[in-house]
Amino acid sequence: MTRILCVAEKPSIAKAVAGHLSGGIYQTNNTRDTYVKNYTFDYDFGPPWGHSSVTMTSVKGHLTSTEFPEDYKSWEYPPPDRLFDAPVLTVVPTNNKTIAKNIEDQAKRATGLVIWTDCDREGEHIGSEIRDAAKKGNRNILVKRARFSNIERAHILTAARQLGLLDEKQVDAVSARIELDLRIGYCFTRFLTLSLRPLGGPLSNLTLSYGSCQFPTLGFVVDRYFRVKNFVPEQFWGIKVAHEREGIKVNFNWARHRLFDRMAVVILYERCLAAKTAKVTKVQEKPTKKWKPLPLTTVELQKLATRFLRMSGQQAMTIAEKLYTRGFISYPRTETDRFDRGMDLRALVRKQTPDPRWGTFAQNLADGAFQQPREGRHDDKAHPPIHPVAYVAPAALGDDGEKRIYELVTRRFLACCSEDAQGMASDVEIVYGEETFAAHGVTVLARNYLDVYPYENWTGTAMLPRFMVGELFEPAEALLTEGKTTPPAYLTEADLIALMDANGIGTDATMAEHIEKIQERQYVRTVERGGNNNNNNNGDEEEANAPAARGGGRGRGRGRGGRGGRGGRNGGNGNGNGGGSGVREFIPTSLGVALIEGFDRMQFETSLGKPFLRKEMELKMKAICEGRTTKQAVLSESIGGYRQVYNQSKAALSVLKAACRQYVFQNAG
Amino acid sequence: MDTSNQLHTSLASTTIPLPSLTWLQNLVSSRATPLPPLASLVATARARLLASDLCTPGLLDQAYAATHALPVSPSGPGETTLPTDVAVQVLDIEDISRSRWEQVEELEGLARGEGTRGREVVRLPLGSEVEGEGEGEGEGEGERGQTQQQPQQQGQGQGQRQGAPGQDRAATARPPAKNAMHKLVLQDCRGQKIYALELQRIERLSKTHIGEKMILRAGTVIARGVVLLDPAKCVFLGGKVEAWHRAWVDGRLARLKEGAREEGE
Repeated sequence: MTRILCVAEKPSIAKAVAGHLSGGIYQTNNTRDTYVKNYTFDYDFGPPWGHSSVTMTSVKGHLTSTEFPEDYKSWEYPPPDRLFDAPVLTVVPTNNKTIAKNIEDQAKRATGLVIWTDCDREGEHIGSEIRDAAKKGNRNILVKRARFSNIERAHILTAARQLGLLDEKQVDAVSARIELDLRIGYCFTRFLTLSLRPLGGPLSNLTLSYGSCQFPTLGFVVDRYFRVKNFVPEQFWGIKVAHEREGIKVNFNWARHRLFDRMAVVILYERCLAAKTAKVTKVQEKPTKKWKPLPLTTVELQKLATRFLRMSGQQAMTIAEKLYTRGFISYPRTETDRFDRGMDLRALVRKQTPDPRWGTFAQNLADGAFQQPREGRHDDKAHPPIHPVAYVAPAALGDDGEKRIYELVTRRFLACCSEDAQGMASDVEIVYGEETFAAHGVTVLARNYLDVYPYENWTGTAMLPRFMVGELFEPAEALLTEGKTTPPAYLTEADLIALMDANGIGTDATMAEHIEKIQERQYVRTVERGGNNNNNNNGDEEEANAPAARGGGRGRGRGRGGRGGRGGRNGGNGNGNGGGSGVREFIPTSLGVALIEGFDRMQFETSLGKPFLRKEMELKMKAICEGRTTKQAVLSESIGGYRQVYNQSKAALSVLKAACRQYVFQNAG
Repeated sequence: MDTSNQLHTSLASTTIPLPSLTWLQNLVSSRATPLPPLASLVATARARLLASDLCTPGLLDQAYAATHALPVSPSGPGETTLPTDVAVQVLDIEDISRSRWEQVEELEGLARGEGTRGREVVRLPLGSEVEGEGEGEGEGEGERGQTQQQPQQQGQGQGQRQGAPGQDRAATARPPAKNAMHKLVLQDCRGQKIYALELQRIERLSKTHIGEKMILRAGTVIARGVVLLDPAKCVFLGGKVEAWHRAWVDGRLARLKEGAREEGE
């Protein structure tokens, strides 16, 4: 019988897949790693392998890591920029040695290797690491790739029968990213730390990490901070017209909304009054709707979680990851906001009917109210939008966070499969003097999706009384109003995610980590909106001494190895503390301000605090995946770009130091 | 009839302010002989005139100037109308539908070579010209100036388009403002100044240069001493007084900042 080795990205997936393929009957063998087990069973892959004896095992995220050779380990010598072209070694770190050995040994006896890592770029690269380990034991092993996006049984069985190949382009894109992040992160972190520590004071013991995503992320926070701080309020004036008819008071809003010149408004206002009567120019009553949401992407999930569930994006992802691993929801890292037409969504809806909260709603959809979800424009071609794959009763879920994320994902899914909310809108437009005013009223007729989706609401206004086109009337009230502009608010996590998303900083999968990182580094802190800042200081210092290399930012990576430990750490850091209902806002520390201001003031074309360099890198990775460029070309181009920035930064170091003196030491000039 | 007289007659039949015969004679005599065809001379005269300060003594035909000036005291609380056509030039213009601070932020972004497209921060190409905050920004008033302005400016001197590189940059930064409302300071040939308001949207005003000439038609309404611009009753002649425009552009950011601070009190 053919022997086949299967390797998943994490132990939980190995177990789940083994369960499905074996029909639940498999043997479990321990390996020398406490968490990694080998499951053995028989399975028929169909031709060419046919009935096979399978060993299913796993890695724990990335199997290998990259590092510089021994003679580059000292921070003092050679100078940081030598890291731009120093050799890079790929090694199996100590904690993964037994796992690699397990794969190597198992491969010796196997004809084929099936890779079951997550189907995204990072997973593809992990797949290549597994392949390399297996080939060490058996040079001739045949390598296949299973493509799946959730671990629901039927889906897994289909994937096992339609094996493909590793996508070398994606592997290349990730290795380019890993190498760039390593070089750039190490180089700039050493440069910053060595250059700024001599300033002494609070800087003397800090590791000032640089990451190609971290810095632009910090840049957004600093930029908004200055917009708020520098804001100058201004007076504006407007005209408000009101009329009462059929016992209903109607407010007409000025088409110009407001003007920043009193004289102008007074003149326009006087001309309104002089005209005495207003003329109705448009009366319209037409059906309107509030569109149901698009299918759920990672970025949206994070935004919603930070807005409505009082958790950080990072916490939301950790929980979603757990729910995925346990088979309750689909893969939570996806950019896709359209369901494949071929998916049986009704079947998924039907699974939700037992729930006491939304079961009736789901039943109603299943009974015929189902509507195909809207289709967004994003498709990462790897994963469907996030949706529930199995029903789980709240009692079966561990903590509150899991319950709420599952609820969010499910309600969103049901909302997608429901109907837009329907209403009737009436609009009346009048011309008074030479100015146009409009009144708007809405009656909600059918809430539809809103019944299952409490994260949005739509309230009607009073119905407008009857007006006729061409009718003249004397408005009961016309007022000259005035007001003052207010500064923008500090960024919330949802705002920050949206900015990162729009500017190509990190990917949906990594944004939350970058946001967390700049807090760990004491570059920013969060405070409750409108709340008292005092008890929420930067109390997360325990991370300050983490090795600089990590700060280098696994740009696209998600620090896979560390996933397991993540959940625990989150609780203790800036996001979690402080009760209250408030949304949290991001404010830079003086150190964060100094770093960004320092780089901005150097005024070379690509400040490290701006998103441009990173965005280029993300685009280049995409280009590698699409075969438009090669890993080598991207590496030499990007390293060239950053080397230039490095040289310029070095030349203008005094500017950065001055910014630190100004902000960190409050030393003007 | 000599060339200057011919020019005078031809120009009298157009809408542009009529220059004096002396001014035209100077113009003709400064040209090398043989003289270019009349049509080309008319174009030159027009371009020179539109690039001049209307108040320059001796520039305009006296009879024309006498009948195309603002009434002596048009202010007062009530409304009046202009009895005759009036020739004016633009001394200042600002968009009062946007807060000054919003415009300050935009100008500062442009100076850094940054604009925004929704949430996205976009890098705008920095032109080869000296990095002046003013250069491109003031031109920002003239969205898409390049393409739309050309037709109206036939006959204008070559120099008019200088300083334009920044224009595309500004254009990427801001879409045309549908709800813009401009407040202008206009000046007639006697040096009298008056405010004007864009009562109805006049696209042309988004790309007005300082020193541009306009004719306010008879019947134009003046309320509280402010001209209410009516698209049907004003004719835009184009033109620009280079030095004024440059100074206006250079000082714009500072004026906006100061204006905002005063308003905020």
